[in-house]
Amino acid sequence: MKTVIVKPERCVGCHQCSFQCAVAHSTSKTSMGAISESILSKPRIRIYLSSGKENFPNKCRHCEPAPCEMACITKAIYRETKSGIVLLNQDRCINCGMCAMACPFAVVRYYPYILNREAAHKCDQCIDRQKEGKVPACVEACKAGALLFDEVNKKMDEDTEKLASLIYLGIRQRVQEPDTFSSLIAYKQQLNEIRRRQS
Amino acid sequence: MNIVIIGSSAAGLSCLNTLCKISPQANITIISAEKYPPYCRCLLTYYLGNAMPEQELTITKPADYPSNVQFILGQKAEHIDPQRKTVRLLDGRELGYDKLLIAVGADAIKPRYCAEGKRTFTLRYLDDAKKIAEATKGRAVVSGGGFIGIKTAYGLLGRNIKTNMVITSPYLLAMVLDETSARHLEKDITGMGIGIITGEDVIDIGLGNDELKVYLSSGRELETDVVVAGKGVKPSVDLAQASGIKVNEGISVNEFLETSAPDVFAAGDCCATMDLARNKLQAIGLWPTAMEEGYFAALNMSGAGARYPGSIGMNSLKTKAFHLISAGILKGEPGLTVYEKHIPSRKQFRKIAFRGDVPVGMAFYNCPEEAGLFVSLIKKALPLMVNPEKVVNGDVSISDIMKPL
Repeated sequence: MKTVIVKPERCVGCHQCSFQCAVAHSTSKTSMGAISESILSKPRIRIYLSSGKENFPNKCRHCEPAPCEMACITKAIYRETKSGIVLLNQDRCINCGMCAMACPFAVVRYYPYILNREAAHKCDQCIDRQKEGKVPACVEACKAGALLFDEVNKKMDEDTEKLASLIYLGIRQRVQEPDTFSSLIAYKQQLNEIRRRQS
Repeated sequence: MNIVIIGSSAAGLSCLNTLCKISPQANITIISAEKYPPYCRCLLTYYLGNAMPEQELTITKPADYPSNVQFILGQKAEHIDPQRKTVRLLDGRELGYDKLLIAVGADAIKPRYCAEGKRTFTLRYLDDAKKIAEATKGRAVVSGGGFIGIKTAYGLLGRNIKTNMVITSPYLLAMVLDETSARHLEKDITGMGIGIITGEDVIDIGLGNDELKVYLSSGRELETDVVVAGKGVKPSVDLAQASGIKVNEGISVNEFLETSAPDVFAAGDCCATMDLARNKLQAIGLWPTAMEEGYFAALNMSGAGARYPGSIGMNSLKTKAFHLISAGILKGEPGLTVYEKHIPSRKQFRKIAFRGDVPVGMAFYNCPEEAGLFVSLIKKALPLMVNPEKVVNGDVSISDIMKPL
């Protein structure tokens, strides 16, 4: 089963994923249409900035077993058996706030979605887009490679191999030349360290 | 394998659904004392408030299950024989089991003035809600200022019923909140149109011509159509006790949710599991906890040997005016460090209690976003790595909290 994989170290904080997520969940499904709707569609993915200025895209993990599914008293939150995606039926949601209490990743929010009715909002892994054969909107929008749509296990294997080769190359490189920055985070950490020493 | 589940609410259904997934070949019988198809008890106050029709309370239909699952509705289990491994029903039928789950839940505590003839009810079953809805014309008194009491009063408000709450303690939610936080809550509740009388108890109830007279401890009298008592619940242990199963705070279970009788498991409001904030055994009457326990009981019935880690007391109270999420303990223990901050412009307050550097309790008012994160910190007894002052001020990014985990 394919899922959205988040790589926080690659995120540059452009918020394109949030915007495209909101567009994908709007009635019109177009950028211009979405911003002129009377009840604005809200994103299901959020980017937090840590005190070290690192970006952290946060979205539903579709846990198994899902604490929100267990906490939902109306069974508005359910798991689609075929894809394993945790979905939310907003018409059954009574806005009791139990899922926000249960979610350990703080991804459930409450917004009005139609006139005079509020309901919980969470990521649905763009199940409608997936049925059309497209990848989730946030993944399509991400140009930095921080959001990927793939099998978790396959991706982990690939990453392990990549890491192993990087370590090997790193050892070789370190012997030959001085250290370079392996990633944006390493670069930022280096900068922070320099700043700390200067002050 | 024959599996019998007694009780068809959260724990029973959660166990049933999990068993259907992991042991699809087992023959499962589920016994319910209620004549209605399984419904959600937490929704009764919404039903009272006309926010939900009766058919929407149903959370699962017996017809949706495969043929190896059999529902027995409207039938009480009377006795368990752990030696012969049978359950006797009230109509005399005997069911044999290989594994048994007791998920009979809890009963509402009935104060001594409670009598149906005096239109004084507790709210625990759908029948209770129906009776309350039928008896109310325009006025109601809710006795008890806990979560049940407030939710019931809010439900009645949805029916345009003038409701007064009578609370024994000096402020609302005295078991959970402290006075300052409770005052904010009280202001918002009275703002919605619910009357609150604190520091008084209902002494007796008299039957007038058409109305009820509620006598309070200060000598005051209230006139009303109906009285609802929300004085909490107590684990229903009669069945287990009569069958010789060990009982302490609730039905006594080990970490695999096994009772003292072999192959008999217990889950839900009726059994006493570990309260992780208090570090002692306690019956936690809560829907999400019961669902978790049912899930773990199903795993252990299938032989997975999964330890149930325990839970904490928590609740979410959401009305059109406010949203309160509280968990764990905030007071009543020496040595707790409490950080709190009230932000009047946003109508928010945050409050976190620490034992050492580990959070053990929290109350978030009108800021539900990060609440779940703190609930999970409390559950796992993980230390908070950021400055708690910043957290209660609401200017800490959740990535700083999550990163060290």
